Amino acid sequence: MGEFLKDPVFLATVLGTTLPFFSMAAILILTRSNPGLSSKISLAAISTSAACALYLLVKLHSAPPVQFRTLWFTSGNLNVTFGYYLDSLSLLMLTIVGVISCLVQVYSVGYMAGDPGCSRYYAFQSLFAWAMMNNVIAGNMLQLFVFWELVGLASYFLIGFYYEKWSASQAGKKAFVMNRVGDVGFLLGLIFLLIYFGNLEIPELNHAAATHGMPRGLITVSALLFFCGVIGKSAQFPLLTWLPDAMEGPTPVSALLHSATMVAAGVYMFSRIFPFFSVSPDAMEITLAVGTVTMLLSATMAIVSYDVKAVWAYSTISQLGMMVMALGAGGYFAGVYHLTTHAGFKALLFLCSGIFIHEFHTNDMRIIGRQGGRRLKIPMVCMTIGALALSGVFPFSGFFSKEAILAVLAAHPNKTWVAAGLLGTVFTAYYSFRLIFLILFPEGGIAGKAHGPHADSAQGNEDEHPGYIFWTMAIPVMVLAGATMVLGFVENPLRRFLDRSIQTLAVQYVAGHEGMAGRILILGSCAGLFGIALSWFEFGRKGAGRIGFVGRFPAVWKLFDRRWFLDDFFRKSLDTVVYGGLSRLSVKNDNRVIDGGIDGICHLTEGVGRRLSFLQSGMLQYNLLVMLLGAGAAIILLLV
Amino acid sequence: MNHLSTYLIISALLFSLGLLGILQRRSLIGMLISVELLLNAANLNFMAFNCFLAPDPATGQIIALFVMGLAAAEVAIGLSIILALFRKMHSVNIELAQHLRG
Repeated sequence: MGEFLKDPVFLATVLGTTLPFFSMAAILILTRSNPGLSSKISLAAISTSAACALYLLVKLHSAPPVQFRTLWFTSGNLNVTFGYYLDSLSLLMLTIVGVISCLVQVYSVGYMAGDPGCSRYYAFQSLFAWAMMNNVIAGNMLQLFVFWELVGLASYFLIGFYYEKWSASQAGKKAFVMNRVGDVGFLLGLIFLLIYFGNLEIPELNHAAATHGMPRGLITVSALLFFCGVIGKSAQFPLLTWLPDAMEGPTPVSALLHSATMVAAGVYMFSRIFPFFSVSPDAMEITLAVGTVTMLLSATMAIVSYDVKAVWAYSTISQLGMMVMALGAGGYFAGVYHLTTHAGFKALLFLCSGIFIHEFHTNDMRIIGRQGGRRLKIPMVCMTIGALALSGVFPFSGFFSKEAILAVLAAHPNKTWVAAGLLGTVFTAYYSFRLIFLILFPEGGIAGKAHGPHADSAQGNEDEHPGYIFWTMAIPVMVLAGATMVLGFVENPLRRFLDRSIQTLAVQYVAGHEGMAGRILILGSCAGLFGIALSWFEFGRKGAGRIGFVGRFPAVWKLFDRRWFLDDFFRKSLDTVVYGGLSRLSVKNDNRVIDGGIDGICHLTEGVGRRLSFLQSGMLQYNLLVMLLGAGAAIILLLV
Repeated sequence: MNHLSTYLIISALLFSLGLLGILQRRSLIGMLISVELLLNAANLNFMAFNCFLAPDPATGQIIALFVMGLAAAEVAIGLSIILALFRKMHSVNIELAQHLRG
């Protein structure tokens, strides 16, 4: 232990990943009544964490994977360790989590100013960051699972942050329950693997799978069970409806939840044990299909929504589906790269919409547009940058990662997937620019020009804010916008960096077919541009109908708007299966079997007692006689 | 006449009489007397065995003395209970003491 304490890498890891926890404890115990101090504590902790993460990334960028571990507990011949596993994937993810959490917390200083629950907010933010960072660097599946659950817990707290609002508390509950459904699968997978393999260390797991040290069927079953966890966490089909509802929390929370922490955990776990997954073609095929369905389904939902945050929420699901597709098709780098770029531009998009929502007190993009959303120059420009990245337009980061994914899909023998990917790209560009155009060119112009007082209040709002609050919100946004523009150009260094983490395992994975790459590059860009042009034609140009092609088919609109009736389906199945079936059976069991059983025993005892009470005649000598006869019988029995 | 069995038979007779008395007498005093008969039958047995079989003559006599002391104590307690019962019921008939009947 002694030499560990002198190791700066170890110190930075421990410091970076435990400080947010202490900040949470300090806020909850000591400084709840002082929001200013709470936010400073939390900010100090998370910026130190981010700095540690960056230091680790720089220090270890060309080093072999580092692992620290110590025995956690022993049960039978099973040794479970607790420790840190620092390879290129976890270092990259640690940096993303640290930096984005830090930016979101800076932003929250402005966004949450004056909120009565500000201290609580920062405490949960710290908890969230702590859980996610530890989730990322866990070297053991069990440890990963523990922090995975803590991430879910923190997101439950933050989604239901405005707990006095019914819809918010319901949304928090929904997120929690839907995640648990997936986690049951994850836990079963862990138990299954523990029984048949007996080791949950991530490096060992990947190594054993890659060197065919495990039976194929075992891998398929446990990979699919793990994938249930991914489905829950990363909002894949069919457990995708919790994520759009999760926007009930404060907007910075959505930014964090949708980019680096909560939903990223699922995809991260997938890529963490990617070599394990990749050995089983069946599991990979299923994940590919689930990712595709998710991507297309949620993209159609985003097309019809007028809620700014809802559009981004659906697009998150869609992009997560895309990452799962990439991973499922064997594109390890493409999936992780898209996770990275997506974390940046999705945080950017949410934080920008947060500024609009903060300013105009509405989520409806039409009202924001009419009240003069485009006058807020910085967020408008940044949001457009984010939307361009999301649509995959050169030279923004989304372009590169999306092309990488499409290249991987194109290399897959089944061409359906790449077609679905291109369709998804069109949808993505269409709905993101539908939002941008509806804010930029609102129907009937900006209402503020016609109505004087309205304009005053809209204009006045910006002056009303102390400049520093506006800038705490604007600066993180600009940093993220800058990252979005730059991240695309680090593709090749990043590819080399990430490849090292699985190269050693000799896993074969698809790296994009060179011959296809050129054609798919053009096709992908065309798809994105086509989507933007379509939305320009329908929402942007002068005299456009502003209803979109879906609006012409009310039935389809309704289908998309009601999320393909997934919520109704869940409600119905909940009502019939859980409430109608299981609950009723349990009530019956409680009333009839348990209560009835105990009552029956009581009645039996009482009845027998009444029947037998005649034996107690109260006559002393009869008792004596019986005793004597009994003793005599015993003696005879003993003698004979 | 100087056989062990003579004493044992007398003791058995005594014991049977005591048993009969305790089961048949309805008077509490009678039952107490019968208990004395039982104890004395046992005492007689002890003395007889001690006299004919035991190498150390003191053991049986000590136990017999113990039994006599025990009998005295038992009579003291038994009589006081009977007295208390008599004050309550003005009778020593066991048939009247049936308040604990189920």
